[in-house]
Amino acid sequence: MKSLAELDKLRETLQREMKARDKEHDISIAVSMGTCGIAAGAREVVKVLLNELKEQGLAHVALTQTSCVGSCKHEPLLEIKRGNEKVIYVNVDQERAKEIVRRHLVQGEVIKEWTDS
Amino acid sequence: MEDLSQHILDISFNSLEAGCTRLEICIREDLENNVLEFTVRDNGRGIDREDMQRVTDPFYTTKKNARVGLGISLLREAVERCDGTFEIESKPREGTVVKASFVRDHVDRAPLGDIAGALVSLIAGNSGVELFYSHRFNQKEFNFSTGEMRAALKGYSMQTPAVLVWLEEYLRREITELRRIKDEKFGRAG
Repeated sequence: MKSLAELDKLRETLQREMKARDKEHDISIAVSMGTCGIAAGAREVVKVLLNELKEQGLAHVALTQTSCVGSCKHEPLLEIKRGNEKVIYVNVDQERAKEIVRRHLVQGEVIKEWTDS
Repeated sequence: MEDLSQHILDISFNSLEAGCTRLEICIREDLENNVLEFTVRDNGRGIDREDMQRVTDPFYTTKKNARVGLGISLLREAVERCDGTFEIESKPREGTVVKASFVRDHVDRAPLGDIAGALVSLIAGNSGVELFYSHRFNQKEFNFSTGEMRAALKGYSMQTPAVLVWLEEYLRREITELRRIKDEKFGRAG
């Protein structure tokens, strides 16, 4: 696999850039990936999240998935946990996903109008 | 569902929810015989006989939060719409195999879609699962596994955004190249 060399280079760069990022370790983003979530565009949301996490250098935020949470009309839906704080964002499109990383994860601001409450 | 890769993603999530540690996704495209088919095979907990009878019933689900179970019903419907075949086999405690076969040039056959994105979505939150992907296009074949990727990363986590973004680009490049048709007789790959 020719590209493995490319991957190896990437790994070396990442390891060099790795700093103490302990405070990121308690942040997780769970994207709802049931049939309803997938049909509503959850895969595109995951891709945007990955790109933006990379751009913002948030290497240790855990991106996970959940199944249908019974709120299908609000898909795509994601839940951000930071310590004890839990925020659910609904109807997340690609633009919102990007903003959520920038404002919620980087600046620490909860974007109230996009949440479920 | 807009494309087949969304179905593949959906069926694969069933596998993950069934607690699989090994997941195999195979796609086969055979233009000569006008076939596009995919198989999702897992080593999850399997489906017992009673549930198996209702597996394509959209109003049946084993999940606690949901009242409907649309994934498999939607796939079967997509298959039937283009004169294909749908099979599901399962053994409790051994695993499940879902196979969907389509008439490739059928007017109602959805495009394969963003398979690279689907694979990366599967890998993103599931570090404990070995994923094997094999894609055959006529005589050509592309294979990928999280195992070889992990070996190449030498201990660095695969579930890192920069690595997953790289992987998505890599898979997209390889799969596009695989599906490139040099013989115009068959038209473009959709």
